[in-house]
Amino acid sequence: MTKMTGQTRRTILKGGVAAAAAATLGAPTVLRAQPAAVKIGLLQPMSGFLAQAGDLASIGAQFAVDEINAAGGIKALGGAQIELLIGDSKSNAEAGAQEVEALNEAGVVAIGGGFASGISLTATQAAARHDLPFLVDSATADSITGRDLANTFRLGPNFSMATEVALQNLIKLNEAAGNPAKTVALVHEDGLFGAGLAQVMQEKLPGLGFEILETISHPTPARDMSNVVLRLRSLQPDLVIPSHYYNEFVLMARTMQQQRVRPMGVYAVFGGAASSYQFVAEYPEAAEGVFDCNHWGDPSNPTDAELKAAVEAQGKHYAYNTPINYSVVKVLAEAIEKAGAADRAAVTEQLRTAEFGSGVMPYGTTKFGEDGQNVNALPLNTQVQDGKINVIFPDQFAQSTPVFPVNG
Amino acid sequence: MSARDLLLPLIAVLVLAGLAFSGLSGTLLNLLIFMMIISLAAQGWNILGGFGGLSSFGHAAFFGTGAYTTLILQTSLGVNAWAGLVAGVLLGAAVGAGIGFLSFRSGLKGSYFALITLAFAEVLRIASNSAPITGGAAGILLPLDYGFLNLQFDDRRWFALIAILFVGAALALTRWLERSRFGAYLIAIRENEQAAQALGVDVFRVKLGAITLSAGCTALAGVLYAQNYLFVDAHVAYGPWISIEALFAAIVGGLGTMFGPLVGAVALLGLGEITKMVSGGVPGVDLLVFGAILILTVAFVPGGLMSLRQRLTGRRRPRGETALRSEEGA
Repeated sequence: MTKMTGQTRRTILKGGVAAAAAATLGAPTVLRAQPAAVKIGLLQPMSGFLAQAGDLASIGAQFAVDEINAAGGIKALGGAQIELLIGDSKSNAEAGAQEVEALNEAGVVAIGGGFASGISLTATQAAARHDLPFLVDSATADSITGRDLANTFRLGPNFSMATEVALQNLIKLNEAAGNPAKTVALVHEDGLFGAGLAQVMQEKLPGLGFEILETISHPTPARDMSNVVLRLRSLQPDLVIPSHYYNEFVLMARTMQQQRVRPMGVYAVFGGAASSYQFVAEYPEAAEGVFDCNHWGDPSNPTDAELKAAVEAQGKHYAYNTPINYSVVKVLAEAIEKAGAADRAAVTEQLRTAEFGSGVMPYGTTKFGEDGQNVNALPLNTQVQDGKINVIFPDQFAQSTPVFPVNG
Repeated sequence: MSARDLLLPLIAVLVLAGLAFSGLSGTLLNLLIFMMIISLAAQGWNILGGFGGLSSFGHAAFFGTGAYTTLILQTSLGVNAWAGLVAGVLLGAAVGAGIGFLSFRSGLKGSYFALITLAFAEVLRIASNSAPITGGAAGILLPLDYGFLNLQFDDRRWFALIAILFVGAALALTRWLERSRFGAYLIAIRENEQAAQALGVDVFRVKLGAITLSAGCTALAGVLYAQNYLFVDAHVAYGPWISIEALFAAIVGGLGTMFGPLVGAVALLGLGEITKMVSGGVPGVDLLVFGAILILTVAFVPGGLMSLRQRLTGRRRPRGETALRSEEGA
């Protein structure tokens, strides 16, 4: 190492002082041009068995961030840009809670997402420890809201809201065709989502004039649906009401096609694949005619088509995760805008009291009730028709009329 | 067991507690707590699998019983968390004794024992997924309510400290096992069951004692898990993940050693976290590297990380190395 002479040191010192002065003088201008970015967290399963859902969700959320930033950022904060931090919940509950800690340390103002109910339950509680507002996207367990957690809100419909709509529309569908369907077989996965849905159906369907022939449950993941479908074949139900995740849904629909089991309709509620373009693209014949009652973007909103194009530009298939997470970010950004500060308590207060848009979701305005549930949330009914997923109910969003019975 | 035997567990507790209170960030503190929980589960597994040579694939049965017991008692009966903890450990140990009684009476060993424990855990998973008492598929959620009696702390360092103290107690238990007559019987059974029996060891009773202790320890891990995450469902409680995590940590750390499970849990989870930090944003790459490291460990350090230390000290002292060589040759 060479020995430093006095002169060099002095020169360096001078340079340093000059640089420091320049920085001090320059700082206000820099600040005015570029206020500190506002960080929003997105908790999604980016790896593990739900990774596909997380990937699609992150595309939607990023789309919203880019859109807001391009339009001038958060105006109340001098045009602050939004920075999206994605936390990977690895498709399991404790990693979800762990990621919330990481997002908290990274200094996010709010978190959106969650996707699955188990993950959302632990993640919202972890966020509550830091008074961090959490807007749940599509997780449906009723228990997520209504636990006296002041930080927890849900954009999409909960389980009870969705099943009520699904049953109303099922009756409408059947009545319009002259009530041909009388018997039902329930096929469900044995987790929170499938088992919960089957229970509601078992309670309500008999009172609505349907006879439940059998309730068949299976674990997730399931590798083979032959036995389930053989059972369906011998039962000959008019309707099959399935509730499972993507892979199992696809497996069942394909096996039904192979074994030529053709009920009048397959009517899914929160169907894992029933309203996924991947399923429609890969197994068009098995998908044709399948009904679903699910989270779905408003088809009349032009942004919905843009989101679909953005997903397809990446060579992926569109599903509801994209529009609902786009909307989650839009609502959070609006809350920050209304709060006028990147402050957690202020944002929570806004979410509790104010009204918001609903992004591309068909909710009109978003208003959170006492328990944090969006009171205007609404699932849409879709049917796969000629390789396209069309909205059939409610009428104001309908793109086409339902085809029922499917296998007339 | 003398006071000197407790020196190492005490040092471990002091080091870990020092770490917990050294101003770790929330994420690292969370990781430390999770490491302690997995370590406890693995320490439980090690009593039966490491010392007794009875590899179980179903320690989830005990973990889940501990977790569910405390949550059910707290949510439906309003029992305080500490009583729930004791009840969870006792019930977990009882489930262990029950499974042990049935399988050891039938003389199940090796892969048969492994499979029967797996079967028990799976049966419990399926049952708890539909039974109303366990909340069915929705699981059980404990409301956030800070307080010493609720075992929930606003400052999570206290929870970490409690978990560390339990790990220390389990270390001491393992040390006792190494020193006691009971432990010697257990190791004798592992090495040669017939010979042990011929020498008058009550094989059935010793095995039953081992599985009861083992189950109680793993049940304690379940109680702490439930108390930390405040949520348990059938998959978390009785799912195969915890059985695997417990046996991996024990095997990677070093079977039948006092520090093996703790070292294994810290190393495995620590490596997972480090790869995640290094890999940046690529999802899942940490799990990939994690798997590769696991394979390498098992392939090149079959005796676990604790044997690595012996091997290294052996290299430094030539005489030790010869001893080890001849041992390997035998």
